[in-house]
Amino acid sequence: MTHTPDKKSALNQGVVVFIYLAVLTALEFALALFLPNVVLLGVVALVKAALVAYYYMHIYKLNREDSGEGHDSLAYKIGTNRLGLWLFLLSDSFVFGGLLISRFNLLGMTRPHLNQYLGFGVTAILLISSFFMNRAETSIAHGDKKGFQTGIIITMLLGLGFVVGVVGLEWQLAKIEEVIVNKDVVGGIFYMMTGMHAFHVLTGLIFLFLVWRNGRRGYFTAENHWGVEAAAVYWHFVDVVWIFFYPALYLIGSTP
Amino acid sequence: MKKIYSIPLVRGLVWLVVGLVIGIAAVAGIRAALGLDATGRYLFTEHAWVFGGFVGTLAFIATHGVMGDWFKWWRGQDTPEHHEDPASWLKYLGPSLDHKVIGIQYTITAIILLVVGGTFALIFRTELSFEGQQFLNPDQYNTLMSLHGMLMIVSILLGIAGLMNYLVPLLIGAADMAFPRLNAFSFWIAVPAAVWLLLSMPLGGVETGWTGYPPLSANPAKIGQQMFFLGVFVAGWSSVLGALNLIATVARMRAKGMTAFRLPIFVWASIATSLIALTATQLIGLSFQMVMFQRLFGMGFFDPAKGGNPVLFQHLFWFYSHPAVYVFILPGLGVVSELLPPLIRKPLFGYKWVAMSSFGIALVGFLVWAHHMFTSGMNEYLRVPFMYSTLLVAVPTGVKFFSWVATIWKGKIPTPMPSAFLFTIGAIVVFLMGGLTGPPNATVSTDLHLHDTYWIVGHFHDTLFGGFVFPFFAALYYWFPKATGRRLDERLGRLHFWLMTPAFLVLSSGMMRIGLLGMRRRIFDYDPALGFENMHVTLTVAAFLIAFSIAIFIYNMIVSVKEGDPAPGNIWNSRSPEWQVPSPMPAHNYETPFEVVGEPYDYGLPGSKYVEFMKK
Repeated sequence: MTHTPDKKSALNQGVVVFIYLAVLTALEFALALFLPNVVLLGVVALVKAALVAYYYMHIYKLNREDSGEGHDSLAYKIGTNRLGLWLFLLSDSFVFGGLLISRFNLLGMTRPHLNQYLGFGVTAILLISSFFMNRAETSIAHGDKKGFQTGIIITMLLGLGFVVGVVGLEWQLAKIEEVIVNKDVVGGIFYMMTGMHAFHVLTGLIFLFLVWRNGRRGYFTAENHWGVEAAAVYWHFVDVVWIFFYPALYLIGSTP
Repeated sequence: MKKIYSIPLVRGLVWLVVGLVIGIAAVAGIRAALGLDATGRYLFTEHAWVFGGFVGTLAFIATHGVMGDWFKWWRGQDTPEHHEDPASWLKYLGPSLDHKVIGIQYTITAIILLVVGGTFALIFRTELSFEGQQFLNPDQYNTLMSLHGMLMIVSILLGIAGLMNYLVPLLIGAADMAFPRLNAFSFWIAVPAAVWLLLSMPLGGVETGWTGYPPLSANPAKIGQQMFFLGVFVAGWSSVLGALNLIATVARMRAKGMTAFRLPIFVWASIATSLIALTATQLIGLSFQMVMFQRLFGMGFFDPAKGGNPVLFQHLFWFYSHPAVYVFILPGLGVVSELLPPLIRKPLFGYKWVAMSSFGIALVGFLVWAHHMFTSGMNEYLRVPFMYSTLLVAVPTGVKFFSWVATIWKGKIPTPMPSAFLFTIGAIVVFLMGGLTGPPNATVSTDLHLHDTYWIVGHFHDTLFGGFVFPFFAALYYWFPKATGRRLDERLGRLHFWLMTPAFLVLSSGMMRIGLLGMRRRIFDYDPALGFENMHVTLTVAAFLIAFSIAIFIYNMIVSVKEGDPAPGNIWNSRSPEWQVPSPMPAHNYETPFEVVGEPYDYGLPGSKYVEFMKK
């Protein structure tokens, strides 16, 4: 038996992790200003990703022993689903890894000229959305359907804000800064990376919407909320991707 | 009419066409409204065709019925765990969830694509028999040659998926795959992929060979190139999701007592293959997608005029496409290790080493991709590490060969030799030739001369015939009775083998010979002064003999399903669990679960047992 913490301490844990993430993001920004070192920025991003993967995505649950229960039990099936989801994320991360490799191969130590305030803003929005996603999942895991609904709605609104910030604002502002899709490879890489990521955010929003609607119909319980967990893990994964994309596009290198 | 429409495959294809038309009309309409060109050389612009293909794919999978249960789940409805299949053969055209039905669907589709791709090869092979232009123009030649490559690759991916789908749940004692709906989805999404690959022919064809290198593949004159990329992209998803399912199945659905070192070798090989397919496939998808976007939106990833780098494409592409050849061969080598012990009644030599060697090949395979690029102009200091890592692959492969030879040593060769045994031995011989002709290509000094010659063509046909085609046929001759309850005709099987093997050896060694003498690959014509004509005629005759032998095999399959000798029981006297129950396999696999109580390949050891069925 694993020890399940009570709801209050689980929610508190989410707050503490979020504070760590916020401080690290601010540190990242300050490093880029005063000590622009690729290795340091990479380490900060890795630490942030590890925090999200452990505390928000609960990667340790993969290691849970389900022995003693039959292959037909619900817990065992959810364990299988969880493994399948993580295998999918492993596969998907190769897409984003390939994009990062392309970015460093083609642009090297230069970066596109972008609006730093907007970049920091959308990063913060996505991070906060992950915090509320975690809150929603923790709520339903303790049977609190109202807290779950509120958390999901806030997450969806923030996610929508992120898409509007990147596609609606940043893409227009970048055009003014001569980062143009078919002008040179800088524009190509910028729109490819942000576009691929925004596509994943959009699919995440669709999942969140389905989860929210099914939750309103009372479909999820404290024992069986696999749908919520899957949408949450996917949402956090999209956040982890941005944790690497943000420094790669906004912080590392110098503008030409 | 209504009855035909109710067949899921037909319904899906109708909607695929409808989706294609809607997508094309939408883009053409928007472009016309914006005052841009709405029509092009191939009726519509490239954007319209690509978007149409995308919508057509979605329309196919949405209407075919394979996503029906998911749609219900998203609406919050529950569905039964299993759906009963219709009793007639029509179940093979519909979204069955049974891994055995899906395995057969994969296998039949693989054979169909094998025939189509093989026919393309026969056509351009005939053209090459004599110098000068016979009946193809260079564009048609390039298209047939490129599509031969890619259709065969898709055929192999579907073929190994067929074997793995059918066999792995039976070998590990599972009732089905871990995700039956995803399993059906992985198969059915391969159907639109095949349609787009073939649709590239009327849209200007493909001129790049299967590798699709830019800048040639970014040539805007050919829309066929886009449909080619789209087809490969969709087929890639089939491969990724199938691999995901297989890993989860082996990780979570094993019978009691089936520990890691009691798994059959074929299962080990399947996991190694699936790990590559799950991860690396994304990079061929990404590289092709980047060329697609370069063509559609002018993003200059691989265009030096815009600061792009064509060599980057080759890195991304080969990061998948070299490990991919291990995806193709590992299950086949697993079949060889799986069939030898029961056929010659001896334990498999060095079980643990063979099990680990599949993983060794898979992992080293991730570190060798740039040996395809020794002449690409990449940094020269990279050549030597990639040379050594490539040569390292020979070590785990050698482990497999030692194991096979030591297993055969002093074994009882069955008389008369069953076709399954003939093809197993054929696989070992042909793959040995493929293996021995590999190191000269991995060594920088020799590869600089061999690169892009017919020697390479001969080498990889040897590896893929030895690593996939021969084991695939061996597996079909061996497990066909399990699936149908009837044996394939042995006389026709022997004829198939004795026609195909000599013809293939002539073909591959002849290719290597003229390659060493200076014949280039992927060319439409050659200088008569080189004196290759006689050899090219010989190669063409050999190719037709192979095609004839495969026609015999297909005839054998069709006849034997209905009229073959009945084979209800354990005809191979095997220890493996699937042979302990009657053939054809019952719908829900094992009525009573079994427990693994011994080693899998202890043939000839008295009193040893592999599995024991539990008493109810």
